[in-house]
Amino acid sequence: MEAISVVFTNLPFLLLGAWDTLKLTFFAVLIGLVLGTFIGMGRLSKIKFINIPSTVYVEFLRGTPLLVQISIVYFGLPQLGIQLQAYPAAIVALGLNSGAYIAEIVRAGIQSIPKGQYEAARSLGLTHWQTMRYIILPQAFKNILPALGNEFITLTKDSSLASVIGVTELMRRGQFVITRTFQTFSIYFGIALIYFIMTFTISRIVRYIEKRMAVA
Amino acid sequence: MNEFLLEVKNLHKSFGHLKVLNGINLNVSQGETIVIIGPSGGGKSTFLRCINHLEDYQSGEIIFLGKKIDKHTSNLNEIRTKIGMVFQHFNLFPHMSVLENLILAPTKVKKISKEEAIQKAKLMLEKVGLSEKINAYPESLSGGQKQRVAIARALMMEPVLMLFDEPTSALDPELVGEVLAVMKDLARSGMTMIVVTHEMGFAKEVADRIVFIDKGVVVEEGPPDVIMKNPRNERTKSFLRHIL
Repeated sequence: MEAISVVFTNLPFLLLGAWDTLKLTFFAVLIGLVLGTFIGMGRLSKIKFINIPSTVYVEFLRGTPLLVQISIVYFGLPQLGIQLQAYPAAIVALGLNSGAYIAEIVRAGIQSIPKGQYEAARSLGLTHWQTMRYIILPQAFKNILPALGNEFITLTKDSSLASVIGVTELMRRGQFVITRTFQTFSIYFGIALIYFIMTFTISRIVRYIEKRMAVA
Repeated sequence: MNEFLLEVKNLHKSFGHLKVLNGINLNVSQGETIVIIGPSGGGKSTFLRCINHLEDYQSGEIIFLGKKIDKHTSNLNEIRTKIGMVFQHFNLFPHMSVLENLILAPTKVKKISKEEAIQKAKLMLEKVGLSEKINAYPESLSGGQKQRVAIARALMMEPVLMLFDEPTSALDPELVGEVLAVMKDLARSGMTMIVVTHEMGFAKEVADRIVFIDKGVVVEEGPPDVIMKNPRNERTKSFLRHIL
């Protein structure tokens, strides 16, 4: 009985962590979206000067562990004179990481739009950028919404890695409670439930938006 | 010097090792309607797409309004506003209403005010007989209606040359007539048009010249009654036998 009540007594403390987790993820996704959109377009560029760095970025960020990336940003960058607090460091690291995954999603999204759309826009006199902005990306985003939702969920879970650099998000706060109460199973399980409620809610919201956009 | 609206000289184009255009020559005067016919794979569409530089080419010259169009042309976007293009598969923007399809380029490229663009769009839709569809989305339109919207969209930019790339090939037979009717009106209004099509009735009625392209060259050209009744070239004869 005590095992369950320990979760409830500490719930306000844990929920503050959950709120931090959500904020952390939200800002990281925001960075990831902006970065991913440009890098995704860069991956499709015929200009080598743009294409190659974009490809290198995606391959490197996807091919190295997120935990190592977080460590580089938080512990490594200070040696180069760039000092970030734990919380912003986590946002930057998660954002850079999701940028790579979102870039691949955006690339696939752009490629899913028939070539005729691009040609019609260009033959009306629109520039490459205008065509991307008004014709290709709006249609691509509609197509990739489910994949973006997935990425949001993955990032929510991966944000727990920020606990290792001391960000007091959900995971970290759970560990605090455990060191006080020694209730490892119920606290970790409680945390798992809170993560699940968050990701499940996100997936429902994404599905709702998807349905609304399908109607429009 | 500048008697032709469009001059194409010895145009060569290949995709890798595949030669598609092998020296096309064609002059188009202001107000002319030219119908291009020929077997598929003969280079008709590629030729059309070279004119507004949707495709690059290897050698030859395209001179439009006295200026060369090639990959070094710096004001390509501006030139493209003067060349309207209508595609086989319409290529309307599905995420935009008919009105939005029409006013996008005028407001973003020509920077005319939204109010002015809307007024103009209403006029254009009236011209193509689709005033009541102004707020409809492309998916709710029939093929014929889509193509008429596509024509109106191109006309919004006030082009001096219109290119039609098999505009009725993707349509159900009963919808071909409404699109051709709009094109005939346009030709009679004095628009310069180059039309790739197999609609010989249309060619006979409105074309000033029929150009037969095969294997990447202009095999034969002339007024419709000459080409259709007395073609000189064997390839033209055999092609016409198959489609007439």
